[in-house]
Amino acid sequence: MVTKLSHTSLFVNDQDKAYDFYVNKLGFKVNTDAKMENGFRWLTVTAPGAPDHEIVLFPATSEMNGLDEDVRNALTLLLDKGAMGAGVFETTDCRATYEELKGKGVQFKSEPKEQFYGIECIVNDGCGNWFSMTQRKEK
Amino acid sequence: MELTNDIYQRIVTAKIFIDENFHDTIDLDDISGSAYLSRFHFHRLFTKVYKRTPHQYLTQKRIEKAKELLEKEGLSITDVCNTVGFESLGSFSTLFRRMNGYAPQYYRNLAYLKKTLQDQQPKQFIPHCFIESYKL
Repeated sequence: MVTKLSHTSLFVNDQDKAYDFYVNKLGFKVNTDAKMENGFRWLTVTAPGAPDHEIVLFPATSEMNGLDEDVRNALTLLLDKGAMGAGVFETTDCRATYEELKGKGVQFKSEPKEQFYGIECIVNDGCGNWFSMTQRKEK
Repeated sequence: MELTNDIYQRIVTAKIFIDENFHDTIDLDDISGSAYLSRFHFHRLFTKVYKRTPHQYLTQKRIEKAKELLEKEGLSITDVCNTVGFESLGSFSTLFRRMNGYAPQYYRNLAYLKKTLQDQQPKQFIPHCFIESYKL
């Protein structure tokens, strides 16, 4: 019986920028930050409300990541084009989070809008991925 | 009740005020003052937006920073307590234990062990499927 998701890979085109976005701007916590013998950096973060779910900030362009050059190039192209829609973040208040992050220089694809399921905006992580940031309608 | 953009900006300003000043002795007057709102009005709006009271948010912020400092070396538990804005070591320790399940010193010991292991045997922290797939 599968019970939960513990790790999710998120390809990023710059691990340092990803660290800044997820840790310094969103306030995620670093779970593991370990350097391998070959220089590869294993970096995982967790969201405040999901401390058991590690998001692996996987360096898509690193030559140490075990991917062949074609795959690395394909991933780089997708990330550079901003074609990787990665998921949905939940927030207690979409407009407040939007205002705060905008003030910190975070880029958005769309402003908060009413949807049938709540209020949503679309945020760029600055490393090739975009996320929905959603405040669910109160039941 | 729909909040205006102006109110959102004031509430966010107050949250940032807490983020930047939690290590000082600040109270509801200081925080609501940063938003140019009355204490009562501010308390209600902040709680509506962040689903916790300003005091709960301030306490959480201090405890989170304490955890970050305890994970590093150099500061004693008393220093950590003072650095994050608590005035009494007793109330800091009690609150820390209540919110995290461990006393500050025990938390520090666990963090030290994890960091040591992470530095010496990083592969222990990586699921084997990743090691196989990406030849780590």
